[in-house]
Amino acid sequence: MARRTPDEHPDPFRIVGRPLPRFDVADKVQGTTLYAADWRLPGMLAGRILRAVYPSARIRRISVEHARGLPGVAAVLTADDVPQNALHEDPTGLGLSSFATPVLAADRVRYQGEPVALVAAESEVAAQAALEAIEVEYEPLPGVFDAGAALAPDAPRVHPDRVNLLIHWKLRQGDVEAGFRRSDAVVERTYRTQRVDHAALEPEAAVAWVDGDGVVTIRAATQVIEHFREIAEILRLPHNKVRVMAPFLGGGFGGKEDMTVEPYVALLAWKTRRPVRMLWTRQESLLARPKRHPFTMSYKTGATRDGRLVAQEISLLADAGPYPLLSPRVVFAALVVGCGPYRVPNVKIDARAVFTNNVPTSAMRGFGAMQVTFAYESQMDLLAEQLGMSALEIRSRNFLQKGDRLPTGEALETEAALPHITARAVDALGERSRPSAPSGRVGRGIACNMQPYGRTVWFRDRAQAWIGFEADGALVIRAGITDLGGGQAASLAQLAAEVLGVSPDRIAVHIGDSALTPLAGGTFATRQLYMSGNAVVKAAGELRAMMIPVAASLLEAAEPDVQFADNHAGVIGAPERTIALARVVAECARRGIPTSLLSGFQGEHAAPIDLETGQGRTFPDYTFGCHAVEVEVDAETGTVRVLKLAACHDVGRAINPQSVEGQIQGGAVMGAGQALMEEVAVEAGINLTTLFAGYLIPTAMDMPDVRALVVESGEGKGPFSARGIGEPPTGPPPAAVAAAIQDAVGVRLMELPMTPERVFDAVRARPARPKNEARGKV
Amino acid sequence: MYPSPFAYHAPVTMGETLALLARLPEAKILAGGQSLLPLMNLGLAQPGALVDVNGLPGLETVTEDGGGLRLGALVRHRTLETSPLIRRRCPALAEAASLIGNIRVRHRGTLGGSLAHADPAAELPLVAVALGATLEISRLAGAREVSAAEFFRGYLLTDLAPGELVTGVRIPAIAPGTGYGLAELVRRAGDFAIVAACAVITTDGAGVCRQASLAIGGVGPHPLVMRRAEGLLTGGPLTDRRLAEAADAVPGEVAPESDVHATAAYRRAMARVMAYRALAQARARAASGPGRPA
Amino acid sequence: METAAAEGAARAGVRFVLNGSPVDVWAAPHETLLAVLRDTLGATEVKYGCGEGVCGTCTVLLDGAPINACLLLAVQAAGRAVTTVKGLGAEGHLHPLQRAFVAHEAAQCGFCTPGMLLVAHAFLADHPRPTRDEIRSAIAGNLCRCTGYTRIVDAIEACAGTGKAARVEPR
Ligand SMILES: Cc1cc2nc3c(=O)[nH]c(=O)nc-3n(C[C@H](O)[C@H](O)[C@H](O)COP(=O)(O)OP(=O)(O)OC[C@H]3O[C@@H](n4cnc5c(N)ncnc54)[C@H](O)[C@@H]3O)c2cc1C
Ligand code: FES
Ligand code: FES
Repeated sequence: MARRTPDEHPDPFRIVGRPLPRFDVADKVQGTTLYAADWRLPGMLAGRILRAVYPSARIRRISVEHARGLPGVAAVLTADDVPQNALHEDPTGLGLSSFATPVLAADRVRYQGEPVALVAAESEVAAQAALEAIEVEYEPLPGVFDAGAALAPDAPRVHPDRVNLLIHWKLRQGDVEAGFRRSDAVVERTYRTQRVDHAALEPEAAVAWVDGDGVVTIRAATQVIEHFREIAEILRLPHNKVRVMAPFLGGGFGGKEDMTVEPYVALLAWKTRRPVRMLWTRQESLLARPKRHPFTMSYKTGATRDGRLVAQEISLLADAGPYPLLSPRVVFAALVVGCGPYRVPNVKIDARAVFTNNVPTSAMRGFGAMQVTFAYESQMDLLAEQLGMSALEIRSRNFLQKGDRLPTGEALETEAALPHITARAVDALGERSRPSAPSGRVGRGIACNMQPYGRTVWFRDRAQAWIGFEADGALVIRAGITDLGGGQAASLAQLAAEVLGVSPDRIAVHIGDSALTPLAGGTFATRQLYMSGNAVVKAAGELRAMMIPVAASLLEAAEPDVQFADNHAGVIGAPERTIALARVVAECARRGIPTSLLSGFQGEHAAPIDLETGQGRTFPDYTFGCHAVEVEVDAETGTVRVLKLAACHDVGRAINPQSVEGQIQGGAVMGAGQALMEEVAVEAGINLTTLFAGYLIPTAMDMPDVRALVVESGEGKGPFSARGIGEPPTGPPPAAVAAAIQDAVGVRLMELPMTPERVFDAVRARPARPKNEARGKV
Repeated sequence: MYPSPFAYHAPVTMGETLALLARLPEAKILAGGQSLLPLMNLGLAQPGALVDVNGLPGLETVTEDGGGLRLGALVRHRTLETSPLIRRRCPALAEAASLIGNIRVRHRGTLGGSLAHADPAAELPLVAVALGATLEISRLAGAREVSAAEFFRGYLLTDLAPGELVTGVRIPAIAPGTGYGLAELVRRAGDFAIVAACAVITTDGAGVCRQASLAIGGVGPHPLVMRRAEGLLTGGPLTDRRLAEAADAVPGEVAPESDVHATAAYRRAMARVMAYRALAQARARAASGPGRPA
Repeated sequence: METAAAEGAARAGVRFVLNGSPVDVWAAPHETLLAVLRDTLGATEVKYGCGEGVCGTCTVLLDGAPINACLLLAVQAAGRAVTTVKGLGAEGHLHPLQRAFVAHEAAQCGFCTPGMLLVAHAFLADHPRPTRDEIRSAIAGNLCRCTGYTRIVDAIEACAGTGKAARVEPR
């Protein structure tokens, strides 16, 4: 349930703000939802990918004749068979790191698991046999497997025609050197985060076919149906000859933001003219699908004696793997929020992503902003420790407020209710738990964060929605969004219900079809509620405005007195004077007034930042939060158990409080998993974590109940002042857990995940603990 | 999800089974399938033939055997965990089974399969060694027995010869004044242990250790018996000091290797901690009343 | 490479009961129950998530007990009763657990949900009044990446005979 700030006025809404059950969940509990892999067509082939075994090698020869001749094999494709074997990308939108990524490796492979050849066959077993029959002769080449080493002048080049530095963003504000001279305390540390897999429980999957009209149609587990354009270019087809449909997803978290199966399954369907299904196994998903970037983050932070931040100098280095994907943008987000939700007058940040021959990295929930939270929050605690303050005190002295200038020079335009958020989270921990065993040590920590929502403003983001009444008064919403499981579709229904007075059970939402639903721009960057929510509210408002006069004349009332509620048009204050919306619709039809319309929402836009200083407009807005955790550390083994986790975020307005809480709970547990358990280990380019048994996402026994605390400041740039909440909750747990571990056993970990072994080693290496009561205490 | 094809045999008598195994020495025995089928799904095992022994009668029974127990090879982990007889007679086995994987694995996985698979961190091999269990093995030419301690030979390697089937396991009677302890370190609930220790201690009425057995898993190619620790405990009083001394002897007797989840050094250190915890539990249970079985 | 031939040759008729109704299918020995349920019988409510027995999305009840459909050969299901989530409630009539999952929004993407419901169902049959910790332990083998589990535990708890009614809001 939403818990409002005490000062807030009573809820003016009928539908918005209510914990309505989601229509998609009702289908999901019955097992009727048809996910991408559940789709079947007659004569469907099984598609598979042959993947590189070496992280860096020349392909001397590929021989496919034998495989082509096997029974049941319909096609074997290599790079030569791809009409345009290049995916042209400009991830920054500024031409800074434009790139042509091969669809299938032609003469070089640059990471283990890179697609080399494709097979379509009558059955999965026959496809597997064909894969095994393809002969590839490799010549292993030296590779570069460490982001730092990649920058050395004599490092092997991942791409012969360009240096390994993929992107270098800079941010300069004030004078950090002068700032450090003025500081009474300076903390300098380096933090490391690990490679993380999205581990959506649904592996990547699609079915593709060439439809009767010659349109290549792909029903895929994707967050972004707009990829139809790239697929068309690969096939050298006009954009309007490729259609992507996205059914409900079994989780995305950014892992289905880049294309996964789509180009491959499309190629096979295009070549064979038969339906093809491609399912990635969990193991190939772990092997080769892009991960969350490992970051190395060097922070130098200075503050005055009274705890005011003066200067921060930051160097961020991300391992991008061999292709750009979304790395430049991930690192940009990290740059913008590198200082966290604090006022820092003097800032210098260098954020780099480099090419390596490791598994590619790209978008994942939290998108760069997540990694830096671990660093800047740890710095705050260490500064507090040096200055003899509490974690709370030092934060309170520096919290951003509305109107403050961010390090990018732009002003924060909405409320940042951080003191309130933080107090809520801390209070929710309640009484300190007792250790469960003699070797148990209980500790607490907090961490705050800020996460952008919406795309960078120079992308001029747009989303559209098409809303219309049926003759019976039922409503249809068409929007090209994808639903990852976060209730994206249901929330659009809830918004339209509010504006048009249609009950949610009378609303059908059609999503995710690039041919039939107006494009909405992909579900990522916590943008969908902000963008499509606004688009739906706008479309619904316009529709309402067209229908109100008709209703008014039917009701013989003045237009301002007419309201739409409970599937009826009525007169405010006269409950007996109502007519069914269906009657209004019929009357509109008689008068030739449309009852359906397409509208669009244009996100905030501005010119690009200054590339030398990072000054300018960046993201539309931010969501702020604070998590408080209590852990028990087993001092003899280093095992850390999270006992309590309270996660508080200001969501502006909770459209559906139950869904908002669900996002917070799930995000917090994902963040806690990254804090303690998860890691894709890669050694010399070889992925050592290709089994699900070895990639440790938390089970129900590993995490406590999450107390989700929802603050509604009434400020945000989404519909009804909502802020995005999809990504923010993953950010704080690592730093909060690190603080709690320090509180418990006196050691600060600066590398994720904080495994039992790392904690154990740190405890063993710890010098005698100085007594300092204020340190880390919450 | 898509193992490669194989010939499938589902014999329903022991004679038929042993004849098949003799005729098809390369065939794999299929019991619970919870170790074999994952390997086949991943293409890591591609046996040409499977002999499914689930249809054999009598292999799922649990019977009293003197003061001890006899368990058929097909007794499922879930039965070990929940059977009142096993919980009474051999709670160590019940607790060990309850720690295995997840509920679905426990419903299918078998005692014989776990022992034959011989994962170095698996619970049942560890407890079988600590309890001094005996395995019953059949082949066409006849039957034989081998102690658990001698059964495990190396990493995923046992004393089984091609054509042989584990048919049952005997757990010896447990003397009065005996208690067990089981301690394990896992990275995630239900996962294979990083290190696991099982201790069985028998005391006389005066708190003196008459017999001690300590085995550790996850720190060598198979569960290792800690002879030095056992020797340090036997015949003396079970003070904290002596327990600590015994645990201190453990790191010197283990041979762990590093993997992505833990280094050898950490496993070695944890072997000591788990050994102490298992011993302390065993002591407490042994003391909590004579006749309390392990 | 006679795989394709071997595939066809060794198919055998397998009869079992699926959600209360007898089914007869042709299955090759190497086909898992998961593959046959999904690809042959169209029972796509049973999911593939790993093939290792780890994730629990393929959970079905075999004679009432939760098992990994990815780790059982289809031929091994002969003569037995297989229950998927579609066997829990009747068409248009949700089982109380399903209702509780909806009311508590215990599903987000829903990919773990069929398996989670089946495990919860089997568990509640044996443990009518569980604690939250017991519920957590019962579902620990079924992974969920979306919810963080709190709401799943809420929903199961609401269904257990603890007298607490499920939270129900009109749609
Ligand atoms: C997700 C998951 C988690 C797990 N976690 C754990 C855990 O924490 N701890 C743990 O101990 N185990 C764990 N396991 C393994 C589980 O306990 C297996 O059930 C067990 O290791 C093998 O038993 P099975 O009956 O399934 O054997 P199968 O898989 O059928 O066979 C395994 C091997 O033993 C051979 N074999 C089987 N039975 C016999 C016999 N009677 N005679 C001779 N040879 C035989 C087979 O040929 C095969 O080589 C886990 C498994 C999974 C899938
Ligand atoms: S698919 Fe069977 S457990 Fe994951
Ligand atoms: S709801 Fe998505 S995995 Fe559980």
